[in-house]
Formats: sequence, structure tokens, C-alpha cells
Amino acid sequence: MGTIQFSSVGKTYPGGVLALENVNFTVGEGEFVALLGPSGCGKSTLLNLIAGFERLSDGQMSFNGQGVTKPGPDRGVVFQEASLLPWLNVWENVVFGPKVQGMPRNIYEPRAQEILRVMGLEKFHKSLPVQLSGGMRQRVGIARALVMQPKALLMDEPFGALDAQTRLSMQELLLDIWQSLKTTVLFVTHDIDEAILLADRVCVMTARPGRITRDIRIDIPRPRSINTLTSGDFTTYKAMIMAEMRGLHPHH
Amino acid sequence: MTSSRVRRWLLAIVLPIAAVGLWQAAGTDGSLAGGALPTPDRVWRAWVTWAFGHAGPMTLSPYVGTWAEAVGHSAERVAKGFAVAILLGVPLGVLIGWSRLVSAMVDPSIQWLRPVPITAWLPISLAIFGIRDFGAIFLITIGAFYPIVINTTQGARDVEKNWIRAALMMGAKPFDILRRVILPAALPSIFTGLRIGLGIGWTAVIVAEMVAVKSGLGYVLWDAYYVGRMDIVIADMVSIGLFGFLSDWAIVRLEMWALNWRRLQSFNQ
Repeated sequence: MGTIQFSSVGKTYPGGVLALENVNFTVGEGEFVALLGPSGCGKSTLLNLIAGFERLSDGQMSFNGQGVTKPGPDRGVVFQEASLLPWLNVWENVVFGPKVQGMPRNIYEPRAQEILRVMGLEKFHKSLPVQLSGGMRQRVGIARALVMQPKALLMDEPFGALDAQTRLSMQELLLDIWQSLKTTVLFVTHDIDEAILLADRVCVMTARPGRITRDIRIDIPRPRSINTLTSGDFTTYKAMIMAEMRGLHPHH
Repeated sequence: MTSSRVRRWLLAIVLPIAAVGLWQAAGTDGSLAGGALPTPDRVWRAWVTWAFGHAGPMTLSPYVGTWAEAVGHSAERVAKGFAVAILLGVPLGVLIGWSRLVSAMVDPSIQWLRPVPITAWLPISLAIFGIRDFGAIFLITIGAFYPIVINTTQGARDVEKNWIRAALMMGAKPFDILRRVILPAALPSIFTGLRIGLGIGWTAVIVAEMVAVKSGLGYVLWDAYYVGRMDIVIADMVSIGLFGFLSDWAIVRLEMWALNWRRLQSFNQ
């Protein structure tokens, strides 16, 4: 269970700014979908809507067939700069969710330990977020979402602020995790390579007003790895998407 | 102690030593300004008697061995009034900063009442509580309340939006958000409010004791002035400064401990 559906979705901000117009798309159970577009195209707004952080102005959206009214642990959000609570250490950040949900300790503790181990954080339980690098912080951000066993992961440019090398290793880590969990993922990015490498489908968005212009299925076999980036298939998809995006921005 | 700490201490005491030295040198016959202002050596001797003197059965002066008692009365009142101000100001500030409804209902009243200085509350305090401890504590609470509530409100309003969103996403209920996100996020501002509030608390206790009670450093200050004991007046002022400074230092230490994560932050960035 973890389907996301948008139909005729529009979002207007106070002051009349039209962020999204007539957006239609679906993310199926266990599917990895990337929303690709320039900054200001409304891709993060779309994610914030399904996360329950913002209200839509037009149309309908649903998660697992239910209307979305507020945030909840069935949709784990990974934020751009991790947004960990800086006064809590790694362990406390990761068990925050289970704790406030009143989950019994003997259930969440082994689970949190396992996830932190998979994330390569077992030696950092006591570290504060400020003592970690950007990549490590984002590992904690992913761990704190996964510990709730969400039906979908909503990731808002999670690797956008990282250096190229760290980004590659985080992408590989995410591929590994997804390969074993097969959670539904909605992944917002402005990086074409990242979108093709990770996703089953890439939805290309355009700005002012934000809408989806192309929905491209990426038929590169899994499991994928960094080597996928240099394959022939990859280059073909990249050329196609670049042409699509250039076509959308004739003035640039 | 490292040499830089020694240096800082030395730099810090240059001015006071120079001032006291000049004051001592300017006096003739143990006083200056026509006898109104005793020299430091006289003030020191008065303080020693006030602090450590033993009052015999024939002692008439109240300023023998009563210093600790006066300090104790004042400090206790400041502590009580300050504690009430924290218990009222911090939760209220968090609520005002968090909820637009509470803010719209409560914030204007606070802003209208705030310009009324604590001295203007004196008559009402006397009328209601009489010459009793309660009046002093009431004034201290009022004085310390405003900076605490205003700084807490500010801190609670400035909480990073994504911290709240992250907590909601993890299933936090409104009370969890208040206690586990907004309160810790607002702590730096809250401590700013506590420091200002405590300073005002010491002002308030002196004012209150001068008028509304018959004990404590403020009472001694006014009483000693009436009987012309300017040496005690000055020793009293120095005592107020000392305890105001010490209590502020205690808050700063507490802040450093509670906000360790923040110190690391400014260190790493």
C-alpha cells in the first residue's frame, strides 16, 4: 500500500501566484518516481501537498485512496537539508517518531539500531547533528523516516546540497535500500542524472504555472549502480530529457 | 588558568581599582563632598562590622552582623518572584508564539500593560498586599515577566518551519510540538529573557524593600540614608551589584550547559 494520486491539482499562493496548474499523475505501489524540473516549477509544492504540509487550491489528491489532510508517519519525508532537531543526538532524532507515537521501546529500539547500522551510523548514535557532515546528516534524515516503516518516502532534493562525490555514494545507498524495501518513493530533484539513475519514471515539470509536461518510463534494468551512469541506455534517456527540457526553455 | 584568562581578569579590574584609588585619594578626613561621601576604607570597615560584627546586649546599631540576613531576604524574594515570572512567562510566551489565536487575544494586553513601570505598581501593591513579603514578590514578578514572555514569544515564533513539519510527519501531537520542538528551539531566546528579567528583578526588589517591606538590602539602603550612615549605603550598593552579577553569572552557566548543541553549532560553522 502506498499509491499517490493527483487529479487536476492546482495551487495558488496568497497574492495570486499560480504555483501548480492542472497536475495529473499517479505513483503506483512500490514505484520510484522522480519529479524533475527547474527551481520554481512547483515540484516541491507538489511534494508538500501530498505530505500534508500545504493545502491544495484545486482538484483532488489522495494517498492510498484516502484524501490527505495532514502530515503523518505513513508518509516519511526527507527534507533538503535534513532538518534534524539540532538539540537531539542521532539516536534521539531517529527514535523521535516511534517515541511520540507511543510505540513500545522493545519494538522500536532494535529497529532503530538496525536502520542506523544499515546507514553506516552505528558509531554515531551519540553525535549531535552539527558534529556530522552533510551526507551523514542526510543519512540520519533517511533513517528517521524509515524507522517509521512508512508506506511512501517523499524526498525533497535530499542530495541537492551535497558535494558530487558524497551525492554519488548517497544515491548508491538509496538504490540499495530501495532494492530491499521496495517502498513507494516520490523524489524531487533538478538533477537529470540523479532522476534517471534512481527512478522508474521521470516526470518533467515546467514553471509558471507548474505542470507536468512529460512522463518518461526509464527501462534500465535493476539492480542499478553508479555504473549505470555510463551505460548506453542512460545516455539515450539523458539526451531525450535534455532535449525535452531545452524545448521547454527556448529563451535560455 | 591560561594566560589569556589572567589577562582578561587583569584588564577587567583596572577600572574599578583606579576608581577606588582616586576616590580614596580625593578624600580628606575619611570623606569627600563635604562629608556626604565616605572614603573606601571607611566603607570597607563599615561593611566588615555589618557582616561579621557581634551584637552585644547593649548594641544599638542595627548594622552589626546583619548583612547576611539582609542579603538572604532580598535574594529569597528575587528567587521567588523570578520563579513565578518564569512559570507564567515561558508557557505563555510559547503559546503566544505558537498560536495565532492566543497571540491575537493576549499579546495586545501585554503590550498595553508593559509600559507601566514597576514603580507605578507600588501603590496598588501596597493597597492589596500591605507591608508584607507578598508585595515585593508581586513587583519582582511583574518586572521580570515582560522580558521573559516577550523573548519567549519571539523565540517560539522564529522556530524553523521544517522542524515543526518534520515532527508532524513523525506523528507528533500538538503538545509534543510545544514541548519537544518549540520549547527547546526557543531556549536561546528564553535565556535572553531570563537574563534581562533577573536584572529587572533586582531593581524591583530594591524598590519594593525601600517602600513595601521592612527587611532586605533595599530597606537597609533607605534606612541607612535616613540615619546618615552613607558608609552602609555604599556597602549596600556594592552588595546589590555583587549579587546581581553573581545571579546573572549563574544563569549564563546554566545557559552554556543547556545550549551545548548551540555552542557546538557556532563552533563548527
